[in-house]
Amino acid sequence: MRRRRVDPAAGARAGALPEAIAALSRSLPSGPSPEIFRRAKFDRPEATSALWQLLFRVLSPLPAGNALASIALEVQARLVKSALCSQGYPRLALAQLPEDGSQGSRELLLALSWLLARGPVPEQMLAQTRVPLGDEMTVCQCEALASLGPPAPHMEAEGPVDVRHVQWLMGKLRFRWRQLVSSQQEQCALLSKIHLYTRGCHSDQNLGHLSVTEAEMLRDPEGGQKLLRTLERESRRLEAVLAWRRAEPVFWQWMDTVLGTCTPEAPAAASQPTFLPWVPECGDGELELVVRELQTLEEELREAVERRRVAWEAKARGCGRGPEWSATRRASRETVEKELGALQRCWEQDSGPAPAHGPHRLVRREDGAAGDRDLRAAELIRTLRSQEACLEAVLRQLQGQCRQELARLAGALPGLIWILPPGR
Amino acid sequence: MLPADCSRRLVAELQGALDACAQRQLQLEQSLRVCRRLLQAWEPTGTWAWEPPPEPETNEEDPLPACTPSPQDLKELEFLTQALEKAVRVRRRITKAGERNKAPSLKSRSIVTSPGTTASTPPQSPGQAGGHASDTRPTKGLRQTTVPAKGRPERWLPSVRDRTRAGIGARAPRPGAGLRNQHMAPSAAPQAPEAFTLKEKGHLLRLPAAFRKAASQNSSLWVQLSSMQTSDSMDAAAAKTQFLQNIQTASGGSQPRLSAAEVEAEARRLRKACSLLRLRVREELSAAPMDWMQEYRCLLTLEGLQAMVGQCLQRLQELRAAVAERPPLPCPVGRPPRASPSCGGGAEPTWSPRLLVYSSTQELQTLAALKLQVAVLDQQIHLEKVLLEEEMGVQQRSAALRRTG
Repeated sequence: MRRRRVDPAAGARAGALPEAIAALSRSLPSGPSPEIFRRAKFDRPEATSALWQLLFRVLSPLPAGNALASIALEVQARLVKSALCSQGYPRLALAQLPEDGSQGSRELLLALSWLLARGPVPEQMLAQTRVPLGDEMTVCQCEALASLGPPAPHMEAEGPVDVRHVQWLMGKLRFRWRQLVSSQQEQCALLSKIHLYTRGCHSDQNLGHLSVTEAEMLRDPEGGQKLLRTLERESRRLEAVLAWRRAEPVFWQWMDTVLGTCTPEAPAAASQPTFLPWVPECGDGELELVVRELQTLEEELREAVERRRVAWEAKARGCGRGPEWSATRRASRETVEKELGALQRCWEQDSGPAPAHGPHRLVRREDGAAGDRDLRAAELIRTLRSQEACLEAVLRQLQGQCRQELARLAGALPGLIWILPPGR
Repeated sequence: MLPADCSRRLVAELQGALDACAQRQLQLEQSLRVCRRLLQAWEPTGTWAWEPPPEPETNEEDPLPACTPSPQDLKELEFLTQALEKAVRVRRRITKAGERNKAPSLKSRSIVTSPGTTASTPPQSPGQAGGHASDTRPTKGLRQTTVPAKGRPERWLPSVRDRTRAGIGARAPRPGAGLRNQHMAPSAAPQAPEAFTLKEKGHLLRLPAAFRKAASQNSSLWVQLSSMQTSDSMDAAAAKTQFLQNIQTASGGSQPRLSAAEVEAEARRLRKACSLLRLRVREELSAAPMDWMQEYRCLLTLEGLQAMVGQCLQRLQELRAAVAERPPLPCPVGRPPRASPSCGGGAEPTWSPRLLVYSSTQELQTLAALKLQVAVLDQQIHLEKVLLEEEMGVQQRSAALRRTG
C-alpha cells in the first residue's frame, strides 16, 4: 500500500501533523509512538495491540498499576468494548473486532479520537496521577468510602445465610466506622500541629506553611529526590498537553481523512450485540424504588386534588364574580407557576453553586481568610451539616419503608422469621 | 429468614462496605505513621535545609541555586580565603623545620583533612566547578577544623549534582551572611547534630531551591492548562463537534444511545425531584389555608405538583426502558467507585489547585468528622436500599408463585 503523498499546499501542515501526534502521544501515559498512529490510519495490524492497550488505560476507572499491566490483551479488549458501549459509542464495527489484536487498528484509532473529541482525556488522565504536594482533602464525597470492586464472592453458594452472621457483620462494620472516626481525629490533630510548627516556612506566601509531603521531603532527602523527579516528569507531560491543545486542529483535519477512508456502515440489524456494561451502577432496583414512591405520591395527590377541587368549586360559586375576581385568580396562577418553576429548576440543574469537585489543599490560617476561589472550612462545615441532616432524614424514611415491607412479608409468607433491619 | 440468595447479596454488600472501611483505615494509618515520625525528633543527617534566621531580601531572590553567590558574599569569601591562606602560610613556617614536603595549597589541605571531599566533588560540572568549589571548600575547610567530622562525613559535603541536599547548597552564598553576623565562627548552623524537632525549629526550615523552582513551574503549567481549557479555541471545538457528527452519521447506530453516565445523571435528578416533590406535597397538604385566596393557591399548587409527578413518572419509565436494553450483568474486573448520591457530581473540573482554609485544629477535626459521617450515612442508606430491594424482590417472587401455584 503506497503512502499518499502530502500535497504541496499542505506543506505547511505537513510538519504540524507529526508534531501534533507526537504531542498527543507524549501527553498520554505510555502513549504509543506517532508511527503507530500513522500505521493505524492504513489499518495495519501491527498497530492494533498498542491501541487496545492505550484505550484500556484511558477507559479504565482504576489507577494505573501492576494489576492493570498483567491483564491479558483479550480481557483488555473485551473491557474496552463494553466501556465504549456503555458510553454510547456509535460504531458497530468496533464491537465486531477480534479480541486477539490481529486487526482493526483503524477502528481503534477512530474510537480513540471519539473519546478525545468528547472530553479532555489527556488532562483527566494527568489529574488522576497528579502529584499532591499539599495535604489534600476532597470536598465532594465521590471516593469517601467507595467500595473497590464488585462485592467479591467471599462465600460460595452455601446454604441459607444465618441472620446472626448478618448481624455480626453489621456490628463489625459499626466498629470499623468508630475506628475510622478516632484515627481520623488523631490525624487531623497531627496535621494541624505540623502546619502550626512550620508556619512562615513556605516560599509561597499564600500557603504560609509546609505540608506533610514537603516536610517529609526535608526529613528524607532520598524521598525528596523522587518527588522532585516525579514533579518534573509531570511538568513535561503538562507541556506536552499544552502543545497538543495548540496543535489540535491539524489532528482533527487528519482524522476526518481517516474517517473518509472507512466505508460507511450499514444501519444496525435488529439484534444489538450484548455486552457486559462496565458501569452496572444504575441498577433497575434503584429506579424501581423511585417509581414506587412517585406512584404513591400520585395516588395521594389525585385524591387530595379531587377533594379540594370540589370543595373550591362549591365555595367559588358562592362568591361573586367580577373583574377583580378574575384578576386575583390570574395573579395567583402566575405566582404558583413561578414557584413550581423554581422547584423544578432545583433538580433540573445539577446544583448550581456546586462545591468544587476534586481535592483541595489544606492551609491553616489563624484568621481563616480565603480568596474567592478558595473554600473556607466553616462554610463547608455548614454545607456538610445540612447534608448530614438530609441524609439522616432519608435513612429514617428508608428504615421505615423497610419495616413496612417486612411487616407485609411477614404477613404474606407465613412461617417467616423476622430479621432485624440493619442500620439501627 | 430471608431466602438464601437475597441475604447473600446483603452479606456481599456488607463485606464490600467492610473492605472499603478497611482500605480507608489503612490509608489513615499510613498517613498517621508519617505524621508521627515528622513530629518526633528527626535523625540528624545534616542535609536538611536548616538556615539561620532569614534575612528577607535573600529569601525572595536566589534564582539560581547555590552557584551564583552575591558579590557581597564573594567578597566575604575572598576575605576568608585570604585569611585561611595566611593561616596556612603561618603554619607552614612553623612546621617547616619538621617537614619538607608540605601541602602548600589550600586545596590539598582540604583534601587531607576531609577525605570525603574528593569522593563527592570530582563529578562537578565544569561550569559550576569553579565558583562552587572555591566558595564551599574554604568554608568546608573552616568547618572541618572547628567541627569534628561526624558520623557520615560525605553527607556534610556538598554534592553539586544533588540539589536537594540544598541545605548546604543554599547555604553556600549564606556564609557571607553568617560571617557578617559572627566573624569567623560558623553561624548558628547545627554543629553537633542535636535532636531536631519540628516543634522547636520547624519555622526555620526552608524548601530546597530546586524543588521550589520545579513546584512553581509545575503550578504555572497547571494554571496555563486551566486557562486554555476555558478558552478552548474555536477551531478545535468546531472540528471536534464536526468529527463527532461525522462519526455518528458514518456508523450503523441509529441514534446516539444514552451513555451510562447520562442515565445515572438523569436517575439522580429524578431521585432528587422525587424527594423535593414529596416534601412540597407534605407542606401543602398540612398547610391550613386562612382565606379563599390561599385555598385557591393551595389547590393550584397541588394540581401543578400532580402534573410534575406525572411528568417525572413518564421520564422514569422511558429511562427504565433504556436501561433494560442493556443486560445488567456485573463486570468481572473492577468497577468504578460508586458515585455517592450526595455528591453533586459532574461539576466542571478545574485543573489548578485550590485551597481549603481552616483556622484551628478543632475546625479541621469537625470538618473531617462530618465528612466521614456523611460517607457513613451514604453507606447505611445504600445497605438499607439493598435490603429494601431484596425484600420487594421476595414479595414479587412470592406473589408470582402464589399466582401460578
